[in-house]
Amino acid sequence: MGALPQLVVSTLLLGGIYALIAVGLTLIFGIMRVVNFAHGEFLMLGMYLAFWSFSLWRLDPYVVLVVALPVFFVVGLLSYWLVMKGVIKASHNVQIFTTVGLSIALQNVALVLWTGDYRFVRPWHASEVVRLGGAALNLSQIVAFAVAVAFTGGLMAFMKFTHAGRVMRATAEDREAATLMGIDTERVYRLAWTIGIVCVGVAGVLLSPVYTVYPQAGLQFVLLAYVVVVLGGLGDMRGALFGSLIVAAVETVGAYTLGIAWKEVLYFVLFILVLVFRPAGLFGQRGAETLGM
Amino acid sequence: MRRHAGAIVLFGLAAVAPLATRDAYFLDMIVLILMWGAISSAWNVAGGYAGQVSLGHAAFFGLGAYSAAVLTVHWGLSPWIGLVLGMALSIVAGLIIGYLSNRLRGPYFVLATIAFAQVLLITASRWREMTMGSEGIPVPFKQGFWALGLASKVSWLYLTLGFALALYLVQVYLEVSRMGYQLAGVREDEDAAQALGIAGRRLKVIAIAMSAALTSAGGTFWAQYVGFVDPFYVFSIDLSILFALNTIIGGVGTALGPFLGSILITWLEHYLRATLSDIAPGLIGVHLIIYGCLLIVMVRFVPQGLIGALGALFTWRARAAQRERHART
Repeated sequence: MGALPQLVVSTLLLGGIYALIAVGLTLIFGIMRVVNFAHGEFLMLGMYLAFWSFSLWRLDPYVVLVVALPVFFVVGLLSYWLVMKGVIKASHNVQIFTTVGLSIALQNVALVLWTGDYRFVRPWHASEVVRLGGAALNLSQIVAFAVAVAFTGGLMAFMKFTHAGRVMRATAEDREAATLMGIDTERVYRLAWTIGIVCVGVAGVLLSPVYTVYPQAGLQFVLLAYVVVVLGGLGDMRGALFGSLIVAAVETVGAYTLGIAWKEVLYFVLFILVLVFRPAGLFGQRGAETLGM
Repeated sequence: MRRHAGAIVLFGLAAVAPLATRDAYFLDMIVLILMWGAISSAWNVAGGYAGQVSLGHAAFFGLGAYSAAVLTVHWGLSPWIGLVLGMALSIVAGLIIGYLSNRLRGPYFVLATIAFAQVLLITASRWREMTMGSEGIPVPFKQGFWALGLASKVSWLYLTLGFALALYLVQVYLEVSRMGYQLAGVREDEDAAQALGIAGRRLKVIAIAMSAALTSAGGTFWAQYVGFVDPFYVFSIDLSILFALNTIIGGVGTALGPFLGSILITWLEHYLRATLSDIAPGLIGVHLIIYGCLLIVMVRFVPQGLIGALGALFTWRARAAQRERHART
């Protein structure tokens, strides 16, 4: 059982990061009823923001974090106005292909502008090893985890205690009733989309010291985030946290027992099983999936 | 007959093209347009006619490509046997996906199809003994029809033309047959169709399995034509998106739509690749940026696709002509 502490700590750290990616996705889904297939591309943009700031101006990713908030706020608003606003009331299929189109476009803008080369952001803390009990950890991972948890916690507090948060939850629960109560749903959608994009953009900056930066980098994370979000119940933020931990656990234990090569199969199989047996998520409302909610 | 005028012109032109030119680049383009058009038509059977939008059809395409390549490489069997095996495997896979389609709707179903293709992608790229792993399989070339080793582009053109025609006819069948009408009913309002006694669930599953088998056949042909099977391409989500893209651009749920989409998209890709790679090697992604934007604009403003837009243009002109006649009398 010598590996146990390492597995537990790795699971926690990984789970924290997945949570930040997934929370934005689940927020957008919960309120707009749109699965954002371009979510991973915003993560990739965050990674590139960190990469260019680091290689051009030697800025540490944690400094870039402060810049990333306003930058992704603007990116979120722009993408909402240009792309999402017109399809809010459209059918599922239109929405799906709109975000798929956005994903293809963004991915290839990155490819054309910055080539497909693998890039690395390696500030001093990326190679700092911290020993904690029986586990060895990378300092960047620990900071990324801490920031991700603080961010996710902040977002959940925002949703629970502020007026804007309450308005968003009300809209998520019942669009029509919210409109009748005088809620400007258009503003709510804009806010939800923008917050979701900010979350995932920040996650991209945080991940940059630990992972490789390239135009398709978003794909592996976003597939994972779908798994997380469906496990937790689409639109359920607390569910997304549990989902993140479950996926992270499957991933670390899978990598330990089966080897890195096969770990991904594990969580996709888990994903399909959940879709078959509990499609509304482990904690979600039964039946949501057949309404396409 | 008038309904099929467009198809007769298109397929007719493809058939006589080798008489006009033997230019390899030009013939290659026609083969690819027909092939992608046919495979997108297969997607259309599920995504358009049955209304079950999938972004995992690369799974079936890959099964077809791998079945033929693996049987040829390991056991020296004919790719035609691989074609049948691939279709059989895809029917099984299609039944699984079809089962899911009865439990999941909208985005949930799309996510399930993506996950399914990913599982196959990972398996193909890791199962080294069978699939040669992530390096992919070079398909050995053996001359002859039985080995699907057709040396001339012209033979390939007629083979894919036959495949494309078959797919066109399958779609036409789905427009005029009893099954087609029932499927349309299920697509528009499943509960109402069920209430009328249509076995909606079974129909959807049959349509998806059919679509899967046809896509798989396309995968086999493609792999034999190109001569190489790369797991990261044949099972990729990009490829699944391409099938949907061709169909949406051309016109979802129409028999000619996927072919029109394929003409535009395949031509655009080749044209832009050729012109832009002369300017700078980094620019080859430009055609994909255009695809992305085109997709966003089309689904929002022209959801009927090129067919719908052309149809609207014709009725508009017919009406204008009619008005003119009325005005004169």
